[in-house]
Amino acid sequence: MTGVMNEADWLLLVPLLVPLAGGLCVGGIRALDTPRRRRIFVLSALVLEAAAVILTAARPDSSLTLFRIGADLPVLLRLDGAGRLFAILAAGMFLCVGVYSFEYMRHEQHEKRFYAFWLLTLFALEGLALSGGIIAYYMFYEAMTLLSLPLVTHTQTREAVAAGIKYLIYSVLGASLALAGVFLISRYTRTLVFTPGGALDPAKTAGHEPALLAALFVMILGFSVKAGMFPLHGWLPTAHPVAPAPASAVLSGVITKAGALGILRVIYGLSGPGVLVGTWVQTALLILSLLTVTMGSLLAFKENVLKKRLAYSSVSQVSYVLFGLFTLNATGLSGALLHMVFHSIIKNALFMIAGAIIFKTGKTLVSELTGIGKRMPRTMLCHTVVSMGLVGIPPTCGFISKWYLAQGGLSMASAWNWTGPALLLLSAVLTAGYLLSISIRGFFPGEDKTHESFAPAEPSPVMWGPILLLTLFCLGLGLFPTALTDWTHALAAALAGGAG
Amino acid sequence: MNRLLPLLVLWPLAGAFLTLGARGRAKARRILACSFLTAECLLALPALVAAASGRELAFAWEGVAGLGLRFRLDGFRALYLLIAAYMWMMTGFFSVQYFAHAENRGRYVFFNLMTLSAVAGVFLSDDLYTAFVFFEVMSFTSYTWVAQEETQKAMKAAETYLAIAVIGGMVTLMGLFMLYHRLGSLTFSALRTAGETLPAEELFLPGILVTVGFAAKAGMFPLHVWLPKAHPVAPAPASALLSGVLTKVGIFGVLAVSCNLFLNRPGWGRILLVPGVITMFLGALLAMFSVDLKRTLACSSMSQIGFILVGISMQALLGAHNALAVRGTVLHMVNHSLIKLTLFMAAGTVYMNLHRLNLNEIRGFGRGKPLLRFAFLMGALGISGVPLWNGYLSKSLLHESILEYVAHLRAEGLPTGAYSAVEWIFVITGGMTFSYMLKLYVALFREKHPTRQPEFDGMRKGYLTPLSALARGGSALALPLLGFFPDLGMSRIADLGQGFMNGGAPAHPVAWFSGENLLGAAKSLAIGAALYGGVIRPLLMRKREGVREYVNRWPAWLDLEAWIRSGAVRRLVCDPVVRLFRLLDGLAESRPVRVWIPAAATGLMRGLDGLAESRPVRVWIPAVCTGACRLLNSLTDGLIRLSRMTVLSVKRAPERPPVGNRLTWRLGRALDALARGLNRTILRKHPMPTDYEYRLDVERQEADRVMGLIARSLSFGLLLLGIGLLAVCIYLLSR
Repeated sequence: MTGVMNEADWLLLVPLLVPLAGGLCVGGIRALDTPRRRRIFVLSALVLEAAAVILTAARPDSSLTLFRIGADLPVLLRLDGAGRLFAILAAGMFLCVGVYSFEYMRHEQHEKRFYAFWLLTLFALEGLALSGGIIAYYMFYEAMTLLSLPLVTHTQTREAVAAGIKYLIYSVLGASLALAGVFLISRYTRTLVFTPGGALDPAKTAGHEPALLAALFVMILGFSVKAGMFPLHGWLPTAHPVAPAPASAVLSGVITKAGALGILRVIYGLSGPGVLVGTWVQTALLILSLLTVTMGSLLAFKENVLKKRLAYSSVSQVSYVLFGLFTLNATGLSGALLHMVFHSIIKNALFMIAGAIIFKTGKTLVSELTGIGKRMPRTMLCHTVVSMGLVGIPPTCGFISKWYLAQGGLSMASAWNWTGPALLLLSAVLTAGYLLSISIRGFFPGEDKTHESFAPAEPSPVMWGPILLLTLFCLGLGLFPTALTDWTHALAAALAGGAG
Repeated sequence: MNRLLPLLVLWPLAGAFLTLGARGRAKARRILACSFLTAECLLALPALVAAASGRELAFAWEGVAGLGLRFRLDGFRALYLLIAAYMWMMTGFFSVQYFAHAENRGRYVFFNLMTLSAVAGVFLSDDLYTAFVFFEVMSFTSYTWVAQEETQKAMKAAETYLAIAVIGGMVTLMGLFMLYHRLGSLTFSALRTAGETLPAEELFLPGILVTVGFAAKAGMFPLHVWLPKAHPVAPAPASALLSGVLTKVGIFGVLAVSCNLFLNRPGWGRILLVPGVITMFLGALLAMFSVDLKRTLACSSMSQIGFILVGISMQALLGAHNALAVRGTVLHMVNHSLIKLTLFMAAGTVYMNLHRLNLNEIRGFGRGKPLLRFAFLMGALGISGVPLWNGYLSKSLLHESILEYVAHLRAEGLPTGAYSAVEWIFVITGGMTFSYMLKLYVALFREKHPTRQPEFDGMRKGYLTPLSALARGGSALALPLLGFFPDLGMSRIADLGQGFMNGGAPAHPVAWFSGENLLGAAKSLAIGAALYGGVIRPLLMRKREGVREYVNRWPAWLDLEAWIRSGAVRRLVCDPVVRLFRLLDGLAESRPVRVWIPAAATGLMRGLDGLAESRPVRVWIPAVCTGACRLLNSLTDGLIRLSRMTVLSVKRAPERPPVGNRLTWRLGRALDALARGLNRTILRKHPMPTDYEYRLDVERQEADRVMGLIARSLSFGLLLLGIGLLAVCIYLLSR
C-alpha cells in the first residue's frame, strides 16, 4: 500500500454494475429474447465483467462508502487481497461455465430466467468479494442466496422446488446465525469494517472473553452453512443433483467459497486469529471441519448418483479450505486460499463433465458409466486429470494446496497436530476411490464389452472447450504454481501477520 | 551437460505425446516408439560415461510443481537410468511382436513412454519431493499396464495395484509432510545432515512412513499383496518392467531414506531386517507352490527384493564397515533387473504363442527351441546363484555381509542366534530359488505335453520374429558375460553404485570364488535339489489319468488380501463406519432434529400462541384479579364490620332459657346430647329418654317449692335459734 488509500473510489462499482445491469437487461429487454441474441449479450456481459474485474484488481487498494446506517455503521466496498482473489475467481468461473452453458441449456427451458439470475448471482458474488465490512457482506450474502435460488429450482420439478426450499432454509438459517453473531460481537469491536489483524477493542473485550468466543463461534458456524460444514451441510447433496449442471458447478465451485470467504473475513478481519488460537472454538471448529472432510469423502465413495457424489465431494473438499482457515497460521491460510482456487477450478470442471455426460448420454448413475471413456475419450481424459488434481496427485494443482494445508496443520502447537494431515490423506485415498474408479470403468470397460457398442458421444467444442481450459489450469497451476503461491503466501502473511 | 538431466526425463514424455499423433497408424506408432526408446538408451550412455568419469551433474528446476524439481546424476543413478532405458528398449522391441494382434495398443505405447519418463525422473531425483512427484506419476501410468488386458482378473489385480499404490503414496506423503516440517528441506544431503544431527527417535516415525509407499512398490511384506497378482496379468513386456525396474524404483526410495536419514543406524537395520527376511522367504515359498509361469516369476521377484532388503538392512547394521553389503545390494539389484528381463520375456514368448501360462498346459513348449532354452537357462542359472553366473556374485556378497555381522557380534561378545538364523534362512531361500527355477525348467523343456506336443514341436520356426529374437538373445547373453568376468563388469558396477549409498570403500578386493563363497552356493544348490526332489515332485504334483500334473496346494485362506476383502472385515469395520457417517450426515435432518425438536418448539409456540386465550388466562387470572379488587374494595368496610363484630360489638342481654333456669337448661341439653349419643351407639335397643331439660326443670320447680315450704315453717325458725345457741356455746367455750 502506498500513500493514502483512496476513500471514495467510485470505479469499484463497475464490477458490480456490469452483471447487475446485464442481468436486468436479460430479464427486462424484449429485444434480447431470441436465444442467439441473448447468448451473445450474456457472453459479452461476462467477458466485459471479467475484464472489469481484472482491471479493478490491478488497481491499488481503495474503498467506497455506499451509505451509512445510522451514524456509525458504514456500508462500504473495499478492494483488498482476498477480495481480488475471490473476485477474479468468481468472474472467471462464471465466464467459463457460462460459455459451457450455452450448449448445455439447449435441453432446458426458461433460458431467459436462467441467464438473468446467472448474471445477478455474479453481481452478488462480486459484491461479496468487494465488501469492506460485515454489514455489506451480510447484505450481499443474503442477496446471493435469493438470487441463486432460481438456479437451483430451475427445472421446476417437485424435487427441484423441494431442494430449493431446503437450500433457502439452510442458507437463511446460516445467515441468521451469522447476523446474530454480528449483533453479539458488535459490542466488543471498534468498528464493523474489516481490519487486518482484527477490529476488536481490547478495552471492551477485557473480561468478556467467553461471550466473545461464543459470538465468534456462532458467526463462523453461520457462514459454514454455505461452505457445507457438518452439521449444516445437508443442502449440498440435495440441491446439486436437481440443479442444471452449470448451476451445480458454480454452486459447488464458487458459492460454497462465499461461506469460506465469510469465515476468513470474520477470523482475519473482525476478531484477528490471535483471539481464537488454542481456544475451545478453534478445537471445536477443527474437529467439525475434519469430521466433514472424512464424512464427505466416505459418503461420496458410497454414492451412486454422479452429481450427488460430486456434491458430497464438495462437502469434503470445502472443509479442507475451512481446516486451513482454522489452523490460524499463515501457512494454513495460504493453503486454504490455494485450495479455494484449485477446488473451484476442479469442481467446476467435474460438474461440467458430469453435465456433458448427462447432456450427451442421459446417464446420471455412476454404475451406468462403464465404457464412457470409449464414448467420450477427450472429456474423460479431462476427468482423469482433474480427478487426480482433487486427490492431490503431483504434478496437479491439488497437491500444492494440500502440501501447504498439511504444513499449516503440523504447525499448530498441539500434540494432535498430525491428525489433520492424516485425515486429509485418508480423505484423499477415498477421493481416489470415488473419482478415479469412474475413469477406470470408463476407459477399461472389461473384455466382455465389445468396442462397437460404444457409440462416440463427444460433446461439441463449446462444451468441451471450457472443460479443457480448466483442466489445463489444473495441470498448469500444479506445474508452475510459483506466481500464485507467492501471491497467497504474501496475502496470508499480511492477513495473519496483522495479528502481531 | 547439466541440461541432459531434464532431457532424459522429457524425451520419453515428448515421445508419448507424439505417439498420440499417430492414432490409427499402428506401424508409424511402432517405429516412433521404438526409435524414442532407443534414443533414450543412447542418451543414457553419455550420462553413464560422465558419471563413471567422476563428474556429478545437477540440475534444479526451481518452482516447478511447488518446491521445485531437483535432479542429480551420480554413478548409481546413471547406472539405473541406463538399465531402465535398456530394459525399456528391449521390451519395446519385443512388444512389437507381442502386441501384434492386441487391442488398445496406442494406450499401451503412450503410457509405456510416460512411465519411462516418470521412472527416469525418480532415478534422477535429488530430493524426496522430486522422487515422490515422479513416483506418483509412475504409479498411475503403470496402472494401465496391469489393466491392459481388461480381463476380470486383470481388472481386479489392477484395482489392488492402484489401491496399494494410492494408500502407500499417501502414507509416504504423510511422512514427507512431517519430515519437511521438521527439517525444512527434503534434499538427500539435508536428510543426511539431519540423520547425523537429530536423535533417531524423532526420525523413525517419518522415516518409516516415507518408506512405506516405496516399499509397497518394491513388494515388501506385508504390502506385497498386489505383486503376485499384478505381474502375471500384465502383458509380458510390462511384467518384465514391473519386476525389473519398478520394484527397483521402490528400492531406490528405500535406499534414499535408509542411506541418508538412517545412515549407519543399527536400529533402522533391525526394523528393516524383519520384513526383509519375511519377504525373501515368503516370496520363495509362494513361488514354489505356484503353478503359473508368470506368477512364479513374480513371486520370485518378491523374494529377490527380500534379498535386497536384507542387504540394505545389513548396510545399516554394519555401519562404517558395510562395503560388502553396499556392493551386494547394488549388484543384486542390477542382476535381478537383467535376469527378470530375460525370464519374463521368455514367459512372454510362451504366452504370445499359446495364450496360456499354467504349467500343465505349457509343459513341453520349449522342447527343440534352442534360443528360448538358452535364454531361460541363463536366467534360471543366474537367479539361482550358480557360480559363474551373475546372481552368484551378488548373493555371495550379501551372504558374506551377514557372516561379517555375525562375526562382528561374536567379537563383541553379543548373542548371534538371530543373525545366524537369518543366515540360514538366506541359504535356504537360495535353495528354494533353485528348486522353483528347476521346476519351471523341467516343465518347459524336459516334460512333454500329454496331448499337444506335436503341435508345440511344429512351432519351432516362426515363434519369434527376428526383432524379438534379438531382444531375447541379447538380454540373455549379458548374464553369463557378467558372471564369467566379475572384475571386469561387476566390480565396476559396484564402484559406480556405492557413492549413492554413502557406503564405505572395500578394505580389500573381493575374492569372488573363495572357498567360503563356493561352499555357500553349494549349500544352497544342494538344499534346492533336495527340495525339488523331496517336496516339489512328491508333494506338489499328483498323478491323474496316468499323467503327472502340477497342483497348487497353497491354501487359499492364506491370502492376506482375501481377508481384507472378506465379508467379516466389511461387516465389522467398514459397514459400522459407513453407518456412523450416514448417521452424522443425516444428523441435521434426522427425526429428532427434523420432527421432535420442531414439534416441541411448535407445541411450545402453540402453547404461547393460545396462552392469551387459555383457561388459566381467560378465567383464573381474571377471577383472581377480580377477587383481589373486590377484596381491596371491601377492605375498609370489612375492617369496620370486623371491629363492630369484635371490639365495638354491642353487649346483648343474656337470653333466658326457654325452659327452666340456665343451669338446668344447659345441664339438661348436655345430658340429652350424651343420651342421644349413647342411644345411637350402645343403647340402640333400649334407648334412654332424651328430655332431661324438662325433667331437670320439673325437679327444680319441686325443689323450689319444698324450699319455700321450709322457709315459711316454725321449725325452720327453731332450727336457726338452735344453730345460734350452738355458735354462742362454741364461742364461750373457746374463750
